[in-house]
Amino acid sequence: MTTIDLPAGRSERRWPTLNRLVGVGRRSPTATVGFVIVVAFALMAIFAQYITPHDPVEAYPRNILNPPDAEFWLGTDGNGMDIFSRVIYGARYAFAIAVPAVLLSIVIGVPIGLWTGYRGGLFDEGLMRFFDALRVFPSIILALAVVAAAGPSVINVVIVIGLLDSPIFVRVVRAEVLALRSSTMVEAARAAGNPTWRILLVHLLPNAIQGAMAQTAVRAAWAVRISATLAFLGVGIQVPTPEWGVMIRQGAEYMVTGQWWVALFPGIALVVMVLGLNMLGDGLQDLLNPRRKG
Amino acid sequence: MALLSVEDLETHFVSRNLDNEVLVAHALNGVSFAVDRGQVLGLVGETGAGKSLTAQSVMGLLRPPALRVGGKALFDGTDLFELPTDTMNAMRGRDIALVVQNPRTSLDPLTRIGDQLVRIQRVHREISLADARKRAIAMLDAVGIPEPKRRMRAWPHELSGGMAQRVLIAMALINDPKLLIADEPTTGLDVTVQAQILDLLRDLVIDRDMAAIIITHDLGVVAHYCDRVVVMFAGGIVEAGPVGAVFGQPCHPYTRALLAATPERLALGSGRRFGGPPPDLYNLPKGCHYRDRCGHATELCEQTPSFVTVASDHDARCHYAASLKDQPL
Amino acid sequence: MSGPAKNTARPVLLARNLDKHFPAPEHQKIHAVNDVSFAIAEGEVLGMVGESGSGKSTVGRLVLGLLPPTAGTVEFDGKDLAALDARQMRASRADMQMVFQDPWSALNPRMAVGRQIAEPLLLHTKLDRSGRKAKVAELADRVRLPTTYLNRLPADLSGGQLQRVCIAKAIATEPKLIVLDEPTSSLDLSVRAGILDLLADLRRDLGVAMLFISHDLGTVKLISDRIVVLYLGTVVEEGAADTLFDTPAHPYTQALLSAHLPPDPAVKVQRHLLEGEVPSPIHLPPGCRFAGRCPLAIDPCRSALPPLDSVPGDVADHRAACIRIAEGANRLVQPQHQMANP
Repeated sequence: MTTIDLPAGRSERRWPTLNRLVGVGRRSPTATVGFVIVVAFALMAIFAQYITPHDPVEAYPRNILNPPDAEFWLGTDGNGMDIFSRVIYGARYAFAIAVPAVLLSIVIGVPIGLWTGYRGGLFDEGLMRFFDALRVFPSIILALAVVAAAGPSVINVVIVIGLLDSPIFVRVVRAEVLALRSSTMVEAARAAGNPTWRILLVHLLPNAIQGAMAQTAVRAAWAVRISATLAFLGVGIQVPTPEWGVMIRQGAEYMVTGQWWVALFPGIALVVMVLGLNMLGDGLQDLLNPRRKG
Repeated sequence: MALLSVEDLETHFVSRNLDNEVLVAHALNGVSFAVDRGQVLGLVGETGAGKSLTAQSVMGLLRPPALRVGGKALFDGTDLFELPTDTMNAMRGRDIALVVQNPRTSLDPLTRIGDQLVRIQRVHREISLADARKRAIAMLDAVGIPEPKRRMRAWPHELSGGMAQRVLIAMALINDPKLLIADEPTTGLDVTVQAQILDLLRDLVIDRDMAAIIITHDLGVVAHYCDRVVVMFAGGIVEAGPVGAVFGQPCHPYTRALLAATPERLALGSGRRFGGPPPDLYNLPKGCHYRDRCGHATELCEQTPSFVTVASDHDARCHYAASLKDQPL
Repeated sequence: MSGPAKNTARPVLLARNLDKHFPAPEHQKIHAVNDVSFAIAEGEVLGMVGESGSGKSTVGRLVLGLLPPTAGTVEFDGKDLAALDARQMRASRADMQMVFQDPWSALNPRMAVGRQIAEPLLLHTKLDRSGRKAKVAELADRVRLPTTYLNRLPADLSGGQLQRVCIAKAIATEPKLIVLDEPTSSLDLSVRAGILDLLADLRRDLGVAMLFISHDLGTVKLISDRIVVLYLGTVVEEGAADTLFDTPAHPYTQALLSAHLPPDPAVKVQRHLLEGEVPSPIHLPPGCRFAGRCPLAIDPCRSALPPLDSVPGDVADHRAACIRIAEGANRLVQPQHQMANP
């Protein structure tokens, strides 16, 4: 044992206390509100079967287009299905699409970003120009075309969204790696005799991944929005799956005839969820990326 | 009367940690010193000792979480801390000027240096464009910039480090300030350029009867360009006096350690330990703050020492100052 | 190369006629290093001094093979670095390590410092986990770093402690040569003294050769056996540390040494002021690189590059590149600026 007293360590790990939660909340109120919203939807998704009064795909033929009442809290749709239960179950589909899609984007985007950022050169140039070209197309049109060709299923939607969104992670990671590539840290790693793979995985990845992590919530919001849009346009997930986009599409037909509840409630759920994820994402970027604070 | 007299300056850093607890770092704890016209004062100490923070406090340039909690800064008899913001803003750059480190980042990159020199004059006084330009050229000439007329049209990125530092000094001096504070004015410059800049500063102080404070960690600069030296440690002054006296007969153990650590006096392989962590400003120990690193510390040092005057105008904040005075380093 | 007893030992490093050009805008070239040759004997500390733009850091990277030279060869331990393939180059890094100026940026901020010290052991030795752990503890002890810090991240350590981590990492594989690029410039005076003390100990105990690159003349004088002075990417003078400081031959060395401010007001400083600034490394002046600022320059200085010749009458390994030495007209005599000491 040495006799030197350590100064109060800043990297000391402790369990979060209530005080700490308050402290984090004070630092980023946006993130806190977003976090609460996302957690609420997650709980809804997990415990859907316990909190829904009806089966989401069970049709009540005698209760078609019921307005909100005591039994069907948010009314029923054109098939006589309970909208409240369907909105709750919709959260499952939102997560079931957003989470794997973002994971797929990370799995594809991060390694490419690492490699192309470190290597640079023609391959890097070419790839970036390709992504630029890709960006000129509105992604929704691309998604539409691909999903229409591949056939509508949850898996296909996940793959398409994951692929379409991976350039974002390539860009974020590549930018970090570009900044680090000529840093003393990498030079020191080379001078110590590290092979390239070790520089990439051990030294660059942990330092470049933060920007990508800060993006996840915002990208999840995008995934939820795109999957709902695809469903709304009729190429994604199909009726009677309780997916918000599908429900809004069904409800849109009834807006003109006055049955507003069919589209309104899934619409609200979609907006709140996307908003929550975006708020969480903004807050995460502030917390994880101090450079943004100026 | 001294031109600037700082009395009992106290500055804290107030922040909250992740647990939402308020933390207070005692960054400056009662700093007092004075500087006269025609005098160059050196402010030395290690990183975190509070040298730059002292300058920022006096200039009223503190940004949160730094907060001045006490003290006075009497400039020509008026307390700078009592002045309304507008008055202080007007004085800054006119009566008191600051030259900072990093000359390149301190110049406006989108304005030609001549225009910057003209602008800073017209902010502070009624002067015609033509006169301001004339004065700017004269000032560039005075700080040793060749072809000043042509250089007026130069962009900041076209200047070398030494030239940029000269331009900054020209900007600081163009309104004939009474006090110049230079924070590490030559750090990062080559020795031959450093010498030119310091010669210039010294000549200007003498010619214009100004006062100057040079903040530095380079004892060579203090030894050859300052009249008085103030040694800071952990947000407080540990020793102050004329340069010859402090370097010749250092009385505070910290000053002595600092001098012993200079390459010129360093005996390698002596087994002597140097340095050590600075005290935790969030949790300053009672008594002498240098106690934990001091080879002379005794129980007495758990009581806060007061300044001991060891010679005329030479004070050290150590219980043993008088006995250390005549000991060789 | 000849020299005193120590120098006749086999050189661990031999740099021959190194050139390094970097691309500049409009198809121009920055001549960062021009025809630089020097040798470092086993266990020798060679100080390399020069101002910014002198190319000293580039030389440090060239000799470690971190940058390829435009021309010239680096022989390390008898092997030509250019002849090694990537794998052999990596393997030879066990014998040559580097310590950087800024320890904050030289370490991985997300890896515990103990793991970083262990990295060269992992890369270059067959030690198992527990063997590495024991060796890391021994290294920490050797660089006087409390072992309790080993599990911490760099952000928790002070600059001096981080530089100790870097030094521990550099000596982990018991290299033959360590290049130190301004290792103490970013540290406080007392911390700096501790690091210099440590380096002197290591050199005595391990017999490792060092290339000590610095602009701080006091530090270089303290730690070096021999010194090389660079100006605009060219060696202008080299010699034993004492000789060079006592009787600098090249006018640039004289001016450089005279600009140094010893931290003692009792020492009278007589400075030789230099006019102008270091010329652009894109358009190198023909002839002596220093001629434009040299008060002693004559016409021949401006036309041909002076060779690095032995200084007559001095010990053999004292060499300088100034044609005026032969006629004894190389002394900057009249100090042009008397210091008004307070």
